[in-house]
Amino acid sequence: MRLVPVLLVVLAVACSQAPPPPPAARVPSKLEGMWSDPPPTAVGTFCFFSCTDAGIERLNALLDDPANDKRPFPQLQAEAAKYQTDTYLRPRLTEAALKTYPLDPADDPGFLRCEPWGLSKQMFAPHQLEIRRVSDDQIDLRYGEWEAVRTVHLDGRAVPADQPPSRLGYSVGRFEGDTLVVETSKVAAGITWWNAQHSDQMRVVERFTRSDDGNTLTLTATIEDPWGLREPVVAKKIWRWAPEQKITPYDACEPATAFKKGTNEP
Amino acid sequence: MRLLRAFLLVLPVLALTAVTINAHHAFSPVYDGKRTITVDGVVTQFRFVNPHAMMLMEVKDKTGKVETWNVEFAGRLNLEEAGWNAQTIKPGEHVKVTGNPAWQSAQRMAFVKLVRADGTELEPGRAQRLSAIEEERRQRAQQRAQQPK
Repeated sequence: MRLVPVLLVVLAVACSQAPPPPPAARVPSKLEGMWSDPPPTAVGTFCFFSCTDAGIERLNALLDDPANDKRPFPQLQAEAAKYQTDTYLRPRLTEAALKTYPLDPADDPGFLRCEPWGLSKQMFAPHQLEIRRVSDDQIDLRYGEWEAVRTVHLDGRAVPADQPPSRLGYSVGRFEGDTLVVETSKVAAGITWWNAQHSDQMRVVERFTRSDDGNTLTLTATIEDPWGLREPVVAKKIWRWAPEQKITPYDACEPATAFKKGTNEP
Repeated sequence: MRLLRAFLLVLPVLALTAVTINAHHAFSPVYDGKRTITVDGVVTQFRFVNPHAMMLMEVKDKTGKVETWNVEFAGRLNLEEAGWNAQTIKPGEHVKVTGNPAWQSAQRMAFVKLVRADGTELEPGRAQRLSAIEEERRQRAQQRAQQPK
């Protein structure tokens, strides 16, 4: 009978301890699921592929000017995009990158030979993005465009020093609150979304956050490349929550055979 | 087969393609986004695939010779967002199609609009998107007008 109080004390102490914390790398359900093309708003459409704060601010200024009320939206969109290129993107390019900027879209390997995009375009790909939990230590980013799949390691590992560069690079990630942060390096040299060359020294930090109302997902990507950029480019993209969407086979690409060169558009 | 009549109507148009819907590759090396043409004919095939849906149609030219035209659309990934499916356009349909002409191929265009024999129109998702944006702009202008000066 003397043992009973002792056991009760032990039991009480055990019950008073907090439950074990959930795994730190667990993906919040806020981000998991299917996302797709942005809402049909002016800013969402401007950021259909990718955009910058400089471009968004210019677009909003144009929309707020009564003198532009009669002008078609595509005109305003093109003007904001030109402003973004002239005042934000082009000044960030190094002399080396400027030598070939803007690249001729007719030379794009995806266009000529159906070669899937590299990271710098794929991470901004239009249409579906599925964020899928694979395990406690891994999530996949699955894109409709090219049916590309990126693996993000969440176990705190370092990037292997001998990891060879690849099209989509090597990604490690973590959560900061509800924000998924993905750091990618070891990316093979390729083409950026603003139509310039980048080197295999490019590094990207992506931050994925869901809006308070749950309807949109915003990516803010900081892109560094000591060969191609004087200073980082910070680019954005918006998706719409789209559980009804699905990724369909991407199996009918045909290499281009008849086209015109020299239609470069920055 | 119903009478096929082909005509080309070349018009300068706004660069609607500035509303970037095509992804996989740039539009400009293949198509002239500043012009549109319209042809009238019968659908022989509609392929609802990625990265671009394709349609073949038979069109008679002014001399009565039948030509095969190739119409390129955005991909299935994109068209499904606008509610399209593999049955949206059916072989045998008589249609009038407007599109941006290819630079290098005489019987090829990028889809802008399709009108069926009963007069109903089919437009890509970008038309719906532009319509929603114009409504947003109207509301924006109204709010601006209500603000004290």
